[in-house]
Amino acid sequence: MKTNFMATSYKKLILNGIFSENPVFRLALSLCPAVAVTTSVKNGFLMGVAVLFVMTMVNITVSLFRNLINPKVRIPAYILIIATYVSITEMMMRAYSRTAYKQMGLYIQLIVVFAIIISRAELFASRNKVLPSAADGLGMGLGFLGALVLVGAVRELIGNGSIAGFHITHGSPLLIMVLPTGGFFAIGLLMGLFNWIDQKYYGGRPGGGGGGGHH
Amino acid sequence: MNNKDIIKITLNLVAICAIAGVILSVTWAITNPVRLRKKAEELQAALKELIPQAQSVTQAKTFVSAGGKEGIIYKAVANGKTVGYIVHAYAKGYSSFIEMLVAVDPDYRIIGIQILSEQETPSLGADVEKKWFKGQFKGKTEDRLVVIKGETKTDIQAISGATISSRAVTNGVKAAIDTLRAARAKDTNL
Repeated sequence: MKTNFMATSYKKLILNGIFSENPVFRLALSLCPAVAVTTSVKNGFLMGVAVLFVMTMVNITVSLFRNLINPKVRIPAYILIIATYVSITEMMMRAYSRTAYKQMGLYIQLIVVFAIIISRAELFASRNKVLPSAADGLGMGLGFLGALVLVGAVRELIGNGSIAGFHITHGSPLLIMVLPTGGFFAIGLLMGLFNWIDQKYYGGRPGGGGGGGHH
Repeated sequence: MNNKDIIKITLNLVAICAIAGVILSVTWAITNPVRLRKKAEELQAALKELIPQAQSVTQAKTFVSAGGKEGIIYKAVANGKTVGYIVHAYAKGYSSFIEMLVAVDPDYRIIGIQILSEQETPSLGADVEKKWFKGQFKGKTEDRLVVIKGETKTDIQAISGATISSRAVTNGVKAAIDTLRAARAKDTNL
């Protein structure tokens, strides 16, 4: 995977994370937070932004120090780097965004063990230069953010009759969509839609470089 | 793995921890004063909201609350008369200490309660922050602070699936009132 990148490749790398290797819909990684926090657009967005920041910074840091980190302890080293950025995010939220912290505090700490972050550090950032790694982190982070907002929108609309807090429908909505069960429904449906669009318009191959969907 | 490797690996991890430590300390030093200031502002706003007619809410006494944390009794005064008391106390919940404010009038009838912080299970125990749950305490006296599973109009209805957290808040409110009663018995000026 050691390649030299040209300017157009950066765009490709970012788009790769958003579409063809979308963390949630294509790689099926980090589904746990995708279900847990996406009861509304706002929550999905906040979590997505936190992950975007952590992922980009981790990719940059890992790439910068990739030749200094001993391969035998690379996983603990990555975890330490991720934990540092997550702690920074948490402290910032606690000081500057207290209502968001009250809602999300518990889940922010969980970012440390998100499979998508460590897998990008291991598969990409540890083998590539800083700028491509930043682009990969940015793309993957945006893909994750977009997925969480989409899932949040579907669940909030059907489960609560609103989008981003604005009420759209009247009457009683389908409450099950804001419960955990609804998270699986929404992700499954959107994943199907993603695959369908990909097959129909791009003739894409099913399944990316998947793997276990833990955390 | 030879000795040289072990030293290398150790140095590697020590270096990362040291750098991380410095970065985290700096972030903490910058963000913590802001956090504390905002927390104090939130407390002031919550005190004001509980007894809006009070002209002044002053700290009158401190005591030891659940978990050895410092509890505070505030006295609310309007036109030279005591209109109520607010007790800032903690209660041991399911997975955290629930920090709350309990406002009562001089006859120990509850004016209202406010949850300042908790780390209970989201969507279950954390629902103690919901209006319907907190609202149940309004107007009640101590003898009606009983947690009931199922519907109730006269007592405190438990959050289904979170009886422990519901009980923790209810007992915390009760303890707060008892503390206030004992403090006033000791100090007639309070």
